[in-house]
Amino acid sequence: MKKIDDDFNLVDLPIEAQDPEIKKEDFVLQSSDESSHEQRFMTKPTTFFKDSMKRFAKNKSSVVAAGILGILVFLSILIPIISPYDVSTTQDSALANLEPKLFNDAGGFWDGTKKLDHIAVDVSDPSSETYLLPDHDTYPLNGIKGGREGISVGPFEYTNVADKYGIGGYSLIGFYGSEFVNSVSLKSSNPFEYTLDLEDKKFELDLDEIDLTLEQFEVVDLSKIQEEHEDTSLTLPQGYILGETTLDFNYYDKDEKKYVAVPLVEPAVSQHVTPVNPVDIKQKIIDETGVHKFKQFYFSITVTPVEGSPVDANVCGLVKNMVIHDSRQDFVPTEEEPVNPHLAEAEYFSMDLGDNLHGISFDNAMSFIARKLTTGYGVHTQQNRGFWSIGSAKDYSKGVYLGQVRFASFVFDSYAATLGEIEDTLSLSDLINYKNNKWITLYYDWDFNEYDEPYVTEFEVHILNKEKCPLVRDLTVDDVVSILVDQTGRENISVYTKFIKYKYLGFDEMPKFLFGTDKGGRDMLKYVFEGLRNSLAIGVITFAICFVFGLIWGAISGYFGGNVDLAMERLTDILSGMPWVVVMTIIVLHLGRSFISFGIALCLTGWIGTASTTRTQFYRFRGREYVLASRTLGASDARLIAKHILPNALGTIITGAVLMIPSVIFSEATLAYLGLGFQDHSSLGVILSANQDQLFNHPYQLIFPSVIISLLMISFNLFGNGLRDAINPSLKGEGE
Amino acid sequence: MLKYSIKRVILALITAFIIISITFFLVKSLGIKDTSLGQKQSVRHAFFLEQLRLQYVVCFDHPVSGYGELLAEFHDYGADEYFYQKPILEQYGVWLSNVFTKWEWGNSLYIVPDRSAISVIADRLPTSMYLNIISVVVSVPLGIGLGILAGLKKNTWVDHLISTLVMVFISVPSFVVISLLIYWLAFQSGWLPTKWPAPTEPLKEKVLGFIIPVISLSFGSVCGYTRFVRAELCEVMSSEYLLLARTKGLTKNQAITRHALKNAFVPILPSILAEFIGIFGGSMILEQLYGINGIGSLYITAIEQKDYNVLMLDMTIFTTVGLLAGIVLDLSYGFIDPRIRMGEKR
Repeated sequence: MKKIDDDFNLVDLPIEAQDPEIKKEDFVLQSSDESSHEQRFMTKPTTFFKDSMKRFAKNKSSVVAAGILGILVFLSILIPIISPYDVSTTQDSALANLEPKLFNDAGGFWDGTKKLDHIAVDVSDPSSETYLLPDHDTYPLNGIKGGREGISVGPFEYTNVADKYGIGGYSLIGFYGSEFVNSVSLKSSNPFEYTLDLEDKKFELDLDEIDLTLEQFEVVDLSKIQEEHEDTSLTLPQGYILGETTLDFNYYDKDEKKYVAVPLVEPAVSQHVTPVNPVDIKQKIIDETGVHKFKQFYFSITVTPVEGSPVDANVCGLVKNMVIHDSRQDFVPTEEEPVNPHLAEAEYFSMDLGDNLHGISFDNAMSFIARKLTTGYGVHTQQNRGFWSIGSAKDYSKGVYLGQVRFASFVFDSYAATLGEIEDTLSLSDLINYKNNKWITLYYDWDFNEYDEPYVTEFEVHILNKEKCPLVRDLTVDDVVSILVDQTGRENISVYTKFIKYKYLGFDEMPKFLFGTDKGGRDMLKYVFEGLRNSLAIGVITFAICFVFGLIWGAISGYFGGNVDLAMERLTDILSGMPWVVVMTIIVLHLGRSFISFGIALCLTGWIGTASTTRTQFYRFRGREYVLASRTLGASDARLIAKHILPNALGTIITGAVLMIPSVIFSEATLAYLGLGFQDHSSLGVILSANQDQLFNHPYQLIFPSVIISLLMISFNLFGNGLRDAINPSLKGEGE
Repeated sequence: MLKYSIKRVILALITAFIIISITFFLVKSLGIKDTSLGQKQSVRHAFFLEQLRLQYVVCFDHPVSGYGELLAEFHDYGADEYFYQKPILEQYGVWLSNVFTKWEWGNSLYIVPDRSAISVIADRLPTSMYLNIISVVVSVPLGIGLGILAGLKKNTWVDHLISTLVMVFISVPSFVVISLLIYWLAFQSGWLPTKWPAPTEPLKEKVLGFIIPVISLSFGSVCGYTRFVRAELCEVMSSEYLLLARTKGLTKNQAITRHALKNAFVPILPSILAEFIGIFGGSMILEQLYGINGIGSLYITAIEQKDYNVLMLDMTIFTTVGLLAGIVLDLSYGFIDPRIRMGEKR
């Protein structure tokens, strides 16, 4: 007690406080009226909605998300209107796959250029014009920055990746299953020449030739190839087996007047076949036959698949540099020497490659394999990251393996390549068009020559407007390449000249595609935002329909309860139990891939979420006192639902349902990815799935729509969560 | 409890039956598009004979009017053969008796001609299952760990970082993630294969091939678990019994491990169990994009090629797996938390 007294010592206080002197004047009545009234609140009145908005505004990330969302919606409406490009159909092929361009020259960043690595260049003929240049159709020289000097070519590399410009290497011939060609025969270069030689020179020279041929066939062990190239990562394309291999020496026996085959190597299954030793063959030929005995001989190496033999990736038959020559034209069969039945039966491939061991290019090998394959099922070729695989519907493919290629790297400007100054043919109608625009003067005349063929006598084009006209220089009669005159006497003259492609296509200056163009030449900027608009439209429309239906369904189910509820719940159970992909694919397959059928497909299960939220809310509120009070006063069910329960439940229901919009957009995109997207409209999903095959070559075509759809989803979710937190503060933090 | 469980299972079976029946009608009403089969005559003929054996079609030796759509005609096999589709209701009856009495799901038409649909699915199922198992094993601990971290460090930068990342990654669609992963990890850097490796490729390649699918499958569930665990843990952390435990003198770690985590895991464990049921399904988009021969891509191929027998079986699996996961989820609540009584009247 004492302590407290110490703490509250009144003595220290000032004198006024010790003994406050209170005067009567200090007390003033606030109002001198008889009656006193309550004052109005001085604070501003607020509604539930305003209060929620205040809470929402405090949530920074949601406000930002709402802003981004607003911008996206605004752009999706604005850009398709103001963009001058046409994206409804595919455009001129010159506009296809242009890189995104924002700056004019920014050293490779968003300026329409792309640094390309690992592009194979032509190495087949040092004297040709295209030597050490990449494929002209894909990478024309005028698109390469710095021209020929801009290309840096690397050394020869062994590669598993078959390329157009690869040389040397091995071709793989193998069989899988027995439905295809049962055997392949490889013959020595030209049997007839050697026959004569054999008689005179007693094998020696010829066997050298034969050696050469035989060397070309070997059964190679993978480990040997790996050793040879000191690279253990080299693998063989799988799925190839070599069946029984036989090597026959086949000749015409004059004494017996028939063809005799001498097996040089005993049949063996691939795993045990060793490379053929030419000395053994020489031995056998000498032993078994005389010098003069045979003419018109050939070696055949027959590969017969063994049924049921296992697929072995490690041992494969590799035919090195197929040298196959069709010699039948040179041979005139006589009575003494009929056609070798083996030669007649065997298939020939004219692929005369001389003595050059490395002479066969991948393309030739591929066409050889393709030709063999076309006798079976339909052949499809597909190029994936430079790798060619040729296969049919069956599990069957062949490829060229381990060739030599030189790769180059350079900076490629797709705009300059296709839209810049190019050389091509122009038709007369183009020129007449320019003349009508007063860009050029045009004078021409033509006549028939003595063979009744039209020819151009005079042709003069003079450029008047250098700014607008695509032509680069004046044209003379020398530039005319052809003239055709149809039956009505209308002429069509073609000229081959340099001109500026973008002017030809109607652009005043080099166009700039901010997002690039897709493979159909459409402007990705407009296309993506048009897709976004359609995606949003289907999202909002579906949301509206599902929301109204779900609300009604849930209200009835929740308000009435009991058996009504039970029956309705079972129905939703069944609908929600159906895998939605199944439901949607089937509906889309039935109704076609249009906007409306997508709406129906998405609506079919979309309302269930809203319905169940509504039902829970109605369960919660229907037993409240105010509902009971209203009911006792005689309110109808409809009034109770609409006026008393719904307003209380609406906030929760709406916030739950807003997130339906992104999920609908997502569902539509998913369907598009499964190959069931819109056909008559673009949407983000359709664009993404259509450009999926460009992922490796032109990744920007996927990156821009991906960024947009991700941005849309993120901001929708942030916005939806913020809205929910604002309207239902009690739920804050749930599902964050 | 037992009674309730049995009731739930029976109800689910009935639901599954109704769903499969509806899909049967929808699928069959699409008709058999004979022209879409890029198949050899003999294979097609074998297919129709098979359909005849299963009694889905009827065969006449002359064209019949008024029987419905002519599906196919053959003239090279002795007598002329005209195949007509039976009425769908009749086919439904036949299908039911085939499935329930003989367990006969029919043969594949296009995907692997002349193989039974069951064996086609059985071939593809292991791939999808391996992927799902690995991704569950990866994603569950990762998700729970991140969730606990975020929940315990609530409202610190760690929590904000994790929550933001979860928000972003849960919003970005899976096909975008997969495409970007393939582009960066496989194509540009060359570390991983750009396509699902074939079975004959060396082991190293096959192991590397798992990385992209597992990452993309795990993404969603890691985010989901993180969010879920964090929300549950936050709720438990603010509960009164935890406050009591702390006032009794337990250290923070003791309180968290003995009280908070145990209670937070009551709603989380069932969803993990349900996830394990989900390993029998396949991700369609992932399998499509990465070229995986699983049952997800099988479904798409079956729809594209209109290979109905395979489609029906695949769909049945998807439906059953989905419903089963739901039941496991609901029932396991009762096992894990004795306070929850199953099947109680409201």
